[in-house]
Amino acid sequence: MRTLHYTFPATTPPARRAHVGVVGSGDLEILLEPGDDQNGSTDRAQVTVRTSVEGFDEVWQTTLERFFARTPVRGAWELNDSAATPALVTLRLQQAAEASGAASSSTAEGEDTS
Amino acid sequence: MTSTTSHDSGERNEVARALGASIDGQSIDWQRVLHRHSFLELDALGRAEALLDEGSIRVLCGPFERLESPWLEPQNVTPQSDDGVIVARGTIDGTGVVVLSIEQAFQGGGTGEVSGAKISQALRLAAADSRSGTPVPAVLLLETGGVRLQEANLGLNAVAEICSALLELRPLAPVVGVVAGSVGSFGGISIATGLCTHVVVTPEARIGLNGAAVIEQEAGVEEFDSSDHALIWAVDGGEQRRRTGLADTLVVDDADALRDAVRQAVAAGTTRPGAHRSERLDVLDARLATIDPANPPEPARLREMWGDTYDMPPTGPATTHRGSDVQPQAGTTHSSMTPSRRGRTWITALSGTTPRPVIDSVLRADTDEAVYLAVVPDPDNHFYRARQGQVGVTESAALARTMREITAEDDGRAERRAIVAVVDLPSQAYGRIEEMAGLHQAMASAVDATEAARVAGHPLITLVVGQALSGGFLTHGLQASQILVLDDPGVEIHAMHKEAAAHITLRTVDELDRLAKKIPPLSYDVRDWATLGFCDGLLSVEDADTPTEGDVRSVARDIADAVTRARSGPTDLSNRLESVQAKKVRKASRTVRDTLARQWNEQ
Repeated sequence: MRTLHYTFPATTPPARRAHVGVVGSGDLEILLEPGDDQNGSTDRAQVTVRTSVEGFDEVWQTTLERFFARTPVRGAWELNDSAATPALVTLRLQQAAEASGAASSSTAEGEDTS
Repeated sequence: MTSTTSHDSGERNEVARALGASIDGQSIDWQRVLHRHSFLELDALGRAEALLDEGSIRVLCGPFERLESPWLEPQNVTPQSDDGVIVARGTIDGTGVVVLSIEQAFQGGGTGEVSGAKISQALRLAAADSRSGTPVPAVLLLETGGVRLQEANLGLNAVAEICSALLELRPLAPVVGVVAGSVGSFGGISIATGLCTHVVVTPEARIGLNGAAVIEQEAGVEEFDSSDHALIWAVDGGEQRRRTGLADTLVVDDADALRDAVRQAVAAGTTRPGAHRSERLDVLDARLATIDPANPPEPARLREMWGDTYDMPPTGPATTHRGSDVQPQAGTTHSSMTPSRRGRTWITALSGTTPRPVIDSVLRADTDEAVYLAVVPDPDNHFYRARQGQVGVTESAALARTMREITAEDDGRAERRAIVAVVDLPSQAYGRIEEMAGLHQAMASAVDATEAARVAGHPLITLVVGQALSGGFLTHGLQASQILVLDDPGVEIHAMHKEAAAHITLRTVDELDRLAKKIPPLSYDVRDWATLGFCDGLLSVEDADTPTEGDVRSVARDIADAVTRARSGPTDLSNRLESVQAKKVRKASRTVRDTLARQWNEQ
């Protein structure tokens, strides 16, 4: 397993925390929490990735970079990955952004109910 | 178009069934096919939501509590933030319930320390509320391959705690088990399934103690071909379990149908004491007697032989053969397990009498203060997969009957006798006939009777003198109030044999051994097992195979001390979270317990 950390510029605040996905084979779960403004995390997306697959650091970098360039949702992002493809990672990121109320969609799912 | 068409073509019928239109014999409701919402396609949270009144769900110990397994990351396995179990409070037709939903996509639904504690502690909270006047029915969504092998011994213990908590709640509020598929309910959790008030299944569901792959690995492809899906469903399938009375409601894969079935089961309330499947030992014995392992029936035949309610079977006992008359099917492999004499040796030495056979593979020895029980090898066992001392169907039934008898014998006694389980068993029986006959249900009967004896006030002491593996240990030993183990290299406690565990977790035996050095629940060394929080004594002896007089005296003294502790201790298993070691090693379980208790009544 490998733990990776990334930071991206991001300005859109999430309205609420969000949880989507499952750590199932070929899938991942994402937890998004609004950042702590006192902690200087304003205007940044801080991403932690834990993945069962090693050797894909650059793929993660590229995938995340692309997503946050288009969807700059700030906050603390935690990705628990079980070998998801970049396409699925992007889909789950989008779902999390929608569920957090930071990106618009008519089919937001996985809203936090806890 | 008409909404109902009578079926004339077998092929079309098959297609309709696959689409969830109907189940055997009924006409096909095409409207239903078109409007069906698949329950199987939902994740654990979606399933819980689908069963609860709309908008009533409240998730406890959710993902943001980050109560993940502490054991996976060190093994290079990505944890999940809620460890794969949803604990949801909500209402069903206005009644407050708790839904415990296993996420089958995470680690195959495997029971680990945290996921297991979430289930058992939620059941205990439901029982506490029920005792104080507000019954809280529980709905368990059971999709799991069994104990999570990365957390082996902690998972095995978690299953024992789940069974105990389930039995604590069951007299007070209904416990509804739902096995919808697609993983099914296997391993220790299948025993919990066998304890439920009511079991709902779909045709896609499976219930069994040992999965086909595990049996094939242990006994060969001739015993159980795990690539033969028709055979697997003929033996373990939801429809078969319903048609043989091992499940109560069979519905198609439709969220509304599942919801209706659960609503009815919740509304039906508790079952009267003595009438639960796992308490009907008369039925269990009579059913098992209809099977001659030398000439076993086809699974489909079992439906006529046993009937679809769990009641006395319409078929009488078969003539059973023993010994060399019964041979494993040609081509099957002989068990890798070797018969051990330690069980017989220690039960004889400790009781100071000649133990009498309840059946040839289950021994009972009585003294004034205690009753000793042991499962021993029986080379002539007609259930030939239990010849090396494994716990099989008849062993489970005999243990259940004996536990009930002892409990009844001591009714009215000022002080109930201790019951000492002398444990040396290589595992549960791995066989196709066993699964067909519902080994999980037989084991549930033994677990139920053992729990009942403990709750009645019998100090239950387990003494592990040799191997104590997996479902065998869950059935005989792991429900005890006090567990003592000999400090001897021949003593081994685990969820699965080393070779099989390595195979299933895709590791070599060497890798497994290396990992076990830093992950105590994985270890096969009994000294590591003793650190997990539920060991009440690691006993030194000179010779575990042929105990000296001094060995017997000192072990007897340790048992007497354990009896004293048990008499003043709780009659449930809560002390397993209170030991000095539990406070170090089972921190995660304790956090789950405390967080759930805090969140239980929050709004």
